[in-house]
Amino acid sequence: MKKNSIHIIALLMLLIHVNVFAQTPILNSYTPASATVYLDFDGAEVDGTIWNEQGKIVAAPSGLSPASVTWIHKMIAEHFKLFNLNITTDPAVYERAPVHQRTRIIFTPNGSWYGPASGVSAIGSFVWGDDTPAWVFMDPLSNNASFIAAAATHQIGHTLGLQHQSVYDSYGSMITELSGGESNIFSNQAPLMGIPFYKQADWKNGHPSTGVQNVQSDTASIAGAPNYIGYRKNAEETISPHNSVKIERQDPSYLSLISSGDYSFRLFDISGRLLTQGMLKPGFNEIRTSFASSGVLVLQWSGEFGSATQKIIH
Amino acid sequence: MLLPHPMNTLKMILSGFCLLFSLMLSAQKTDPSTSLPYSNKIEVSNQALESLFQSSDLISIELAPGFQLDGKIQNKSNHGKSVISLLIRVDSRPGGMLNISRYKDTKGNIYYSGRLMKLHEPEGMMLVEKDQHYYFIETQQRFLVAE
Repeated sequence: MKKNSIHIIALLMLLIHVNVFAQTPILNSYTPASATVYLDFDGAEVDGTIWNEQGKIVAAPSGLSPASVTWIHKMIAEHFKLFNLNITTDPAVYERAPVHQRTRIIFTPNGSWYGPASGVSAIGSFVWGDDTPAWVFMDPLSNNASFIAAAATHQIGHTLGLQHQSVYDSYGSMITELSGGESNIFSNQAPLMGIPFYKQADWKNGHPSTGVQNVQSDTASIAGAPNYIGYRKNAEETISPHNSVKIERQDPSYLSLISSGDYSFRLFDISGRLLTQGMLKPGFNEIRTSFASSGVLVLQWSGEFGSATQKIIH
Repeated sequence: MLLPHPMNTLKMILSGFCLLFSLMLSAQKTDPSTSLPYSNKIEVSNQALESLFQSSDLISIELAPGFQLDGKIQNKSNHGKSVISLLIRVDSRPGGMLNISRYKDTKGNIYYSGRLMKLHEPEGMMLVEKDQHYYFIETQQRFLVAE
């Protein structure tokens, strides 16, 4: 009798232990938003989508610890804090979200059904309404949490309709489909929709893989049609100091910015010639750029909470 | 030896460039509703698209003149109350799948979206709507599916 009790207690403790370490924490980045990205770490069965050429896909659970999941969620949520979008690990939140404003990202060790890649997604599937998921395959990312978060953000960008940010030569020929960013006096950043793993990565305005004649503003594309997500009303309160001036929109005449505080700014052309300067107020700001010839501009801003330099394709 | 006149050579080079440029333009157009470059565009009627959703198993439909679709429904699923999706294995494109969805809004209007592709192939087709007309545009698959 005593022996049996010990066995039962040991079994219960084992079950509790497994449960504690296997359970994915329920996390939400912005609950007021109905538009939802569901990070699925628990394994999944997928059928009836463009991925199912060979029948049902049974994806293994990620195997990540709750601490890793929490960290990855935080990193991804950070990239989407401008937008009226909830990044969740809660499947119930995904189920309640509008079918034309939701996507699921499945984190699984490998994608042998697809081939060697760190992830894959269908461009624009966020609005398809048919629950086509996107994928992050973790083995090729060495199970590195930073790489996994960057890869997931990249795939979410695709589901929201973004193409790759590419590099073209002066004749308009593509040099590389995936921009690795630049390392120079002005910038050590890479586009999230390029190769986001080795530098500080962020959304960009640039020429996408569809052609040098197109300009893709990542943030405007995410917020606008056909996603219709929009920006958070309190965006300026949630922006961190090092990212506190965001380009919201640009056209040939104006640059629209959202600033989190009072900053001085200077706008240069690529040769370093000062084009204009002034002050940015908290909230929405516009800088006239119609006087600038087309090419690359450099925006510098600085203030009490930080400073940065950003290149703009004009 | 008779050398060609330099002006003639220049004309020939310029003509060659013009021909090459016009060929490039004719091969790559851009769809205004998606901003995607495409090489072919086929209009399909709403009735043809609707008939896919009325089929139960095997499908043999001419979606447009010269655009025959033969295949088998592999999966049919509902998403929420308003979306029905079909996954059709397409015989005329070995290994190819047509994934098409039908969405009915609160006013009873019906919309379709879909793509016809085989993973890792260079080209794929996407169903787009423009002014209440539906078209399959043939485009590079990297614009539809990306890593």
